[in-house]
Amino acid sequence: MSKPNILQLLLRRRPAGQATDDLKSSDPERRAQALFRLGRTKMRAGEIVGAIELFEQAIALLPDYAEAVAARAESLDMLGQQLEAATEYEKARRLWAGQHTGAPDRSYVYRQHGRFTFEVDSYELALQRIKTGAFPHLAVGNVLLAQGRAEEALQCYERALKLKRDNPDLIALKGEALSALGRYDEAVAAFDTALVANPKAPEVLNARAIAQSAQGKLAAANLDWQRQFDLLAPEQGAARAYVAMRLADYGKALPELERALAKSPRDLYWQLYRGTALRRLGKVLPPIDLPSHDDWPVPLLALQAGKLGAEEVMRRANTRERRAEAAFQLDRWKEVVEHAPPALLEYCAARNELARPRT
Amino acid sequence: MFSVIIYGRNDSHGYNLHKRAAISFNALAEVMSDADDEILFVDYNTPDDHPTFPEAIHDTLTDKAKKVMRILRVRPEQHVRLGLKTHLVALEAQSRNIALRRSNPRNRWILYTNTDMLLVPRDPRQSLSDILREVPDGFYQIPRFELPEMLWEAAFDRKDPAGNLARLRDWSVRYHLNQVVHNFMPMRYDALGDFQAALREDMFAIHGFDETMILGWHCDSNLAARLGLYRGRVDTLIDKAFGYHCDHTRVAAANNKGRKTKMNDHDEYIWNVSSPYLPAQAENWGLPDLDVEEIRLDRETHYERYTAGLDKVIKPATVPFTSTSVEWHLFDDLTYDLEHTLPFVCDQVLTYPRSTSIMVVGARSDFLSAFATAWQGMGFTGPVLVPDECEGMPAGQAGVVRGNFTDLLRRTDLFLFEFGLATQRAGDPVRTGRGLAPLDKKHLKVVERLFRQAASTESDTRAARRRTPRRFIGVNVIYNKYWPVFTDLVAANINPFCSQVLAGSPLPKESKTAKVFKFRRHA
Repeated sequence: MSKPNILQLLLRRRPAGQATDDLKSSDPERRAQALFRLGRTKMRAGEIVGAIELFEQAIALLPDYAEAVAARAESLDMLGQQLEAATEYEKARRLWAGQHTGAPDRSYVYRQHGRFTFEVDSYELALQRIKTGAFPHLAVGNVLLAQGRAEEALQCYERALKLKRDNPDLIALKGEALSALGRYDEAVAAFDTALVANPKAPEVLNARAIAQSAQGKLAAANLDWQRQFDLLAPEQGAARAYVAMRLADYGKALPELERALAKSPRDLYWQLYRGTALRRLGKVLPPIDLPSHDDWPVPLLALQAGKLGAEEVMRRANTRERRAEAAFQLDRWKEVVEHAPPALLEYCAARNELARPRT
Repeated sequence: MFSVIIYGRNDSHGYNLHKRAAISFNALAEVMSDADDEILFVDYNTPDDHPTFPEAIHDTLTDKAKKVMRILRVRPEQHVRLGLKTHLVALEAQSRNIALRRSNPRNRWILYTNTDMLLVPRDPRQSLSDILREVPDGFYQIPRFELPEMLWEAAFDRKDPAGNLARLRDWSVRYHLNQVVHNFMPMRYDALGDFQAALREDMFAIHGFDETMILGWHCDSNLAARLGLYRGRVDTLIDKAFGYHCDHTRVAAANNKGRKTKMNDHDEYIWNVSSPYLPAQAENWGLPDLDVEEIRLDRETHYERYTAGLDKVIKPATVPFTSTSVEWHLFDDLTYDLEHTLPFVCDQVLTYPRSTSIMVVGARSDFLSAFATAWQGMGFTGPVLVPDECEGMPAGQAGVVRGNFTDLLRRTDLFLFEFGLATQRAGDPVRTGRGLAPLDKKHLKVVERLFRQAASTESDTRAARRRTPRRFIGVNVIYNKYWPVFTDLVAANINPFCSQVLAGSPLPKESKTAKVFKFRRHA
């Protein structure tokens, strides 16, 4: 028996069949992750060269697979190839840093992006030994939720709740999963329960507001956002800016956006939203230095600068979210509300715009 | 760029604590290169009359370490409310949060480590500041490598951090020291608390360390679990730096009792963590409203304050030596040399907060006058409280507040009782068999009466918020009739006669039964 097989046996890892299936999968994502997991097993068994080969295969399938790049770096380091390893470590960090983070006013879960294969692998390993801990279930649930796999995340939270019954944090996360599945009534009920235990939880207030907004209960949603805004500390400018934007309260949003932009001057979304707030307040937009690339949301900035037409912007918006963002910039509120996911800032703001009395 | 946060107290945490701590402080300072970098040492619950731990070992620290170190002193009075709930005398979560609250807001990173760690950048040209400047936002840890006790004890020169780091680079290869010990996520590595680098804003967002963890251990794992949730991942800086731990297991630490060690519940604080946040302590973590004393080693040191105070009142001696005597027949002579005694009196007060108020009850007006001047010269801002009952004391001296004894009892933080002769003048001979004049008797009677009242009612006269006993300092209470008077009520050590000074906390009140037994024993 080879070292990895012994280790696998000792650690009672996931059934071999599933891993083998993943290795044969035509889906590059599944296959690359299976290769990564196998590589990690080899790495821990001391078969470093074999592990590197597997990580390289995974990277060939998914060039932005930061976990595999980092694991390859560590393997090279263990072999004494420090210079090459150093480059790879940096590359992994760049890949992670390049991932767009989620809305700062929402649950911390949504601020994380990536595959998290390394973490999930370790939590699954922990679950073989830790029978009374909710943490690994919760952590895996968070990864799944952040990846948009709400149904599976919900199962994880349910398992965690069996171990920590009535825990308000877990109930709130279950609410997030339900909300992501469009089960808003159940989600609001879960958030209500969580907020009874801790009425000053800004992220739960935000989650309930989003669900209520999706239900069409805008007044209740606005009340929660307003409470969230009041609870956020002044140094949480990014979160405050987002909440104010959801309320379509541009006067309140502008100073927060200015602060957020001062902190992260290269963040294109802060530039975009500041422009939006200025335009809505009838103020003059400062000249915009458009980046040399054309990645999203540069077309929206080009639209604000008057350098791109509405039709062209809509053409370049190639996802549901982007189309909603573009429609919002074009003041097409109804279109935003009809097509955007309710958690999107533009959806909430558009709902408030539609509810505004028109002159 | 970063604030290092460490904690400890001036106690005997292993016989070689002073050496490993000096090695560690100096090595940490050595890898700092940004003007905003700082080492925040929380000196937690060191007895009030002791200097803080870094002050106690300051002569073994490099100039750079002294320059970057800020000592935040948490007094026993501030610990006492938690003291009933824990067997520990130094609390990690509270200490680290107090430092976090007061860390330099310009710094992006907070680095949690301990006083026995050496952090070695893998590229010798890089500092830790360079490393942390370059890495993206995240939560980073590194594995800890063990350093055999003999190696660091025998071969390290405390004041040569660069040499120590170079030696480590050599030893790590020669003696195969670099072994990574992996652990489950969210810990990632074993002994993770020796290098946890988190964004300062993240630490504020999650409300710092969990302050319900007062039994020791697992604070680091709890932080990893919560930051792991908050950020999604626990990253490594293994490519950038190695961390070496000065092994110190020959003598077990206070919180290490083998299998009988009491600790925070592993399941509760790691495997059942359900949120990064701690709403219950959101508004009060790190004692935000507490005015924590900050002490520097590169300015306004105790020595500087001490000499500044004494230099205001004492002129250099004009003779090679003076003399006194402990011969039996001089037992009743209460003369003493003020200029010789004052340095020992000032030595007793210097470690107290500058805002301390001190009650001085004495017979000699020149003592009060000299002490009050030295007190201000040492930088104390609190008043010298003198009861109206003390006659013959100079009036109108700066910093001296007169008042009714009973009222002053509640206001004072320290007591100083002086048992000298009101008739003694500068230049009078000392311990030559001088008797008591009527004025002396009158003044001493008052001093003794007030002393007995203050010492026997100390616990009843503390300010409402105060829980720890106040210290009593006795001047001229060795080898004369006031020796038993003072030590009957105050738990003082035996001190050399030459110092003239005794000090201690008031003894607990004796029960009636104990008094009977004591009487029978002596009868």
